[in-house]
Amino acid sequence: MKKFLFFLLILSVVKLTSQNKQVLFNFAELPQSLLLNPGTETNYKFHFGVPLLSAFSMEFGSSGMVLTDLFALDHKDINDKISTVLNALSTRDFVKLHSQIEIISGGFRLDPKTYISFGLYNEIDMIGYYPKDVFTLVNEGNNARLNQSFSASQILFKLDVLGVIHAGVSRKVSDQLTLGGRFKIYSSALNIESSNNTGTFTTVLGTDNIYKHYLTNININARTSGLFNSDDELIDEPNTYLNNTFFGDNLGIGFDFGVTYHISPQLEFSGSILDIGFISHKKNIKNTTAKGSFIFDGIDFQFDSDNPIDYWGQIDAHFKEQLPTGDNQESYVSWRPTKLNVALKYSFGERRSKICYDNTYKDFYTDALGVQLYSVFRPLSPQLALTAFYQKSLTNTLQTKVTYTVDDFSYANIGAGFSAQFGKVNLYGMLDNILEYSNLSSANSLSLQLGINVIFN
Amino acid sequence: MKPLNKISILLCLFVFNSCYESLDFKQLDAVILKPILTSALIHFTVVPSHFFDSAGIQQNSISDITNINGLQNLLTEEYIVKLDFNAEIKNELDRGVTFTVAFLNSNSHVVHTFTPIVIGAEVLNYTYLEEVEIVFNRGLLDSNKVRITAELENTGVPLDSNDIREFVFKSSVTLYIESSF
Repeated sequence: MKKFLFFLLILSVVKLTSQNKQVLFNFAELPQSLLLNPGTETNYKFHFGVPLLSAFSMEFGSSGMVLTDLFALDHKDINDKISTVLNALSTRDFVKLHSQIEIISGGFRLDPKTYISFGLYNEIDMIGYYPKDVFTLVNEGNNARLNQSFSASQILFKLDVLGVIHAGVSRKVSDQLTLGGRFKIYSSALNIESSNNTGTFTTVLGTDNIYKHYLTNININARTSGLFNSDDELIDEPNTYLNNTFFGDNLGIGFDFGVTYHISPQLEFSGSILDIGFISHKKNIKNTTAKGSFIFDGIDFQFDSDNPIDYWGQIDAHFKEQLPTGDNQESYVSWRPTKLNVALKYSFGERRSKICYDNTYKDFYTDALGVQLYSVFRPLSPQLALTAFYQKSLTNTLQTKVTYTVDDFSYANIGAGFSAQFGKVNLYGMLDNILEYSNLSSANSLSLQLGINVIFN
Repeated sequence: MKPLNKISILLCLFVFNSCYESLDFKQLDAVILKPILTSALIHFTVVPSHFFDSAGIQQNSISDITNINGLQNLLTEEYIVKLDFNAEIKNELDRGVTFTVAFLNSNSHVVHTFTPIVIGAEVLNYTYLEEVEIVFNRGLLDSNKVRITAELENTGVPLDSNDIREFVFKSSVTLYIESSF
């Protein structure tokens, strides 16, 4: 106990950052771990989650800046702080927010080898890369940045608000192998995204005039679904969004696959691929596009009083012709951010037995060490997290897990979780990046998951 | 002590130990974006033949005008605090030229005029800068047209309409913007 407290004390003076949902992966045979790996082994007869409380998870992350960089009470000028942050940002820095609330969940054993699970959850998933060039142009202008190309390709963001209805099966193929799959129906309430943009804005010294401005190969698009109604009015009723998370007009499908394989009695491999799917957006669409190139070097006066020229009208017409912008209501497809998990676990320590659903006993080890690799496919590039973990069964009803993760936010991040069984009631909780809790305001990322289930053995 | 109790104590310690540094989001009220935008403005190249009308009679001055509708929306005191007008002029003619840059409102009344730019004969590298504080030149806020007049110095010697010497006028505007967040 003293050693553990000392360990926490040591950690609390070291500034570390970040993580995701890795503590929950393959942990304690929790029903919610089936959502991270449908091939997870289960040993219970049936379960159900306490409605709205069975699983809540939240993750926030921001690379390149934290709240205290801008809003700390340090008596520095906020404008200076903004400039400092902008200068420090890179084009790969991003902010993300992910949240899931399980509305209902349950599962039952179909036969000794097959477990069926199902449920409904709402999800918010947002990622936006900092468009550094756009910020710089808005904050500083182009005057001091001649010959610099401000790139539109940095405009890259995606926001999804959706409901997910799912059903999955986990089947024990042999003593070594368990396979699983899950089918999902997505109901999108809101989608806003912009990606694959191209084009630059550049100001250079001109020849015919002092300056010449180039808008080159502009191809910018922003797609929205669920944000505007058919009358082009902003939807500002929260209930509309909430209702659309359940079989709304913009639906999609997806699949999860998972596997657990015992290489030896003590060595286990597990892996999953989640959210291979898409959403077809067909209603309440509003897309905005701009495409083309335009060069401007000022107004060329002709001094022809006999034929006066509408210079401004000409420029406006040329601009609209060469760089047309517009809105449309074309349907589109958005792909879900597919996730990949793989893990290798070595179990050791005291060998114990626990009772299973069929009144047989299953042996297990009290301790386990392992590594996990997590990847999510994001618009710019996959984001990776490598985790080392230690899992400990303190008793047959209380299990703990500690993780150490390297990811986009830092090279070190400590997470911890527990799962406790009180009779048939299971309570679990996980915190990631726990060292940042000493000052939440300066955290690059925070993540937590918690929930209550009722599990029948 | 039972393991569950140990965990509970640790969690309590952790929760009570977690804290956050005070943040002041009201600082956003003090955010002022101050971009400085530069744009090409008006340019032209004029040869003596431009000063002759369709009847072949020499005019002492010529002028041209353009709308600046798009810029009018920006020309508010709360948005643009200062404006720099830059010009680069080359005059190969054998006489001086005076340029007048005037801003007109929608009724074509002059609401603001820059200081006339007087270029001597055969001055090939003349630069001009006029800085305008909007707060002291509110007339600009009503303008939506720019007119430039080029007036020749009266030397008493007529221009040769076939003369290929020219004067070149280039200009740009730099807008100093201050905008609350």
